Amino acid sequence: MKRLFASFLILIGLMGMASAGEIKSSLAPVVPKAAGEAHPEGNEFMRINHMKLMVHDRDDTVLLGDRNVKYSLKECVACHAVMGPDARPVSVKSDQHFCRTCHEFAAVKIDCFQCHNSLPDADLVKKLTMLPQKDRELAAYLKEVTE
Amino acid sequence: MLSIVYAVLFYVATILLVVGTGMKILKYARTPAPLKIPVSPAPRTRRGVWMRMGREVLFFQSLFKSNRWIWIFGMLFHWGMLLVLLRHLRYFTQPVWWWVELIQPIGVYASFAMVLGLGGLLFRRIFVNRIRYISDPSDYLMLLLIIGIAVTGMGMKFVMPVDIVAIKVFFLGLMRFQINELPMNIGVLLHLGMVAFLMIIFPISKLIHAPGLFFAPSRTQVDNAREFRHLSAWASQLPPLPEGIPKDEKG
Repeated sequence: MKRLFASFLILIGLMGMASAGEIKSSLAPVVPKAAGEAHPEGNEFMRINHMKLMVHDRDDTVLLGDRNVKYSLKECVACHAVMGPDARPVSVKSDQHFCRTCHEFAAVKIDCFQCHNSLPDADLVKKLTMLPQKDRELAAYLKEVTE
Repeated sequence: MLSIVYAVLFYVATILLVVGTGMKILKYARTPAPLKIPVSPAPRTRRGVWMRMGREVLFFQSLFKSNRWIWIFGMLFHWGMLLVLLRHLRYFTQPVWWWVELIQPIGVYASFAMVLGLGGLLFRRIFVNRIRYISDPSDYLMLLLIIGIAVTGMGMKFVMPVDIVAIKVFFLGLMRFQINELPMNIGVLLHLGMVAFLMIIFPISKLIHAPGLFFAPSRTQVDNAREFRHLSAWASQLPPLPEGIPKDEKG
């Protein structure tokens, strides 16, 4: 019985590892690709814990005055910017916005952008993506043409 | 693999819940209630009965009159559970209905009311002597099962968040007969396992009082026996009495 239980636990663990990463189904929301490097923690970890990371860092910054936190909403927004039809990043008002794809799917309200800017900081985007403006325009043009 | 087990479990549980409850309702509907037995003071019009049932279903009127403590805990639990259940509609609708989105935060607070109510009812079963004397194992099982479901659910909300996007994909898939991967998280598995168990035992448990209430003749009958002669359905279909038997007996 003990052995059976142990193997059951191992089975759960193995399947947990197998399922880490993307959700493979046509029913899942289409999450836009980010411009920068992938998160070392993995996407599943981020899907589950992103709000904890942000709130934790908010407390560090606001209560302890530490401005050198690991995660910043500004960087999230910069790297996960989604371009609209006019080749400019969309704000949270558009349902194309990165955060809204999942938040709407799960019916979770986003409070962040009542104060924070949902549009990326241009300099930060350049720094993070190293993609010149021209290339982005070209990419948007190609997207428009192919659609 | 375990995703398939859970998918099959939920299909079986849903069928048992729907068919089982349907059969119980059919049975209740067919059970004869030949006598006029509304508990007085009873309404004397059909409209009055609707009002009475409304007060009974929404505010547990007769419980309010009989036991205030059970009423308080019962109201907390039932109304809390209603809001929590409505909040869960977000896992089964795409796009999510606007009013479901609206009540999301209320449903979170409602979970506390629900657990508080259940805790009170359990406390009463354990510490009130005469209630403990009449409590069956199944009385405890129902309370502990629903407390377990509520606590694991709150755990996934407040302590150990889970991949709700993947969970919604799993359930949207089940509704379209495709099996997607369920996140292998101990909270998810416990919560869903207990929910499936509750669905399976619902039709054969005391929880069947939910549809049963609507078939209680002492509440649903109109008190109009003075205005109209009450004749039960089977009695009105009896053949006329043979010759020679007196219709009326004097005395």
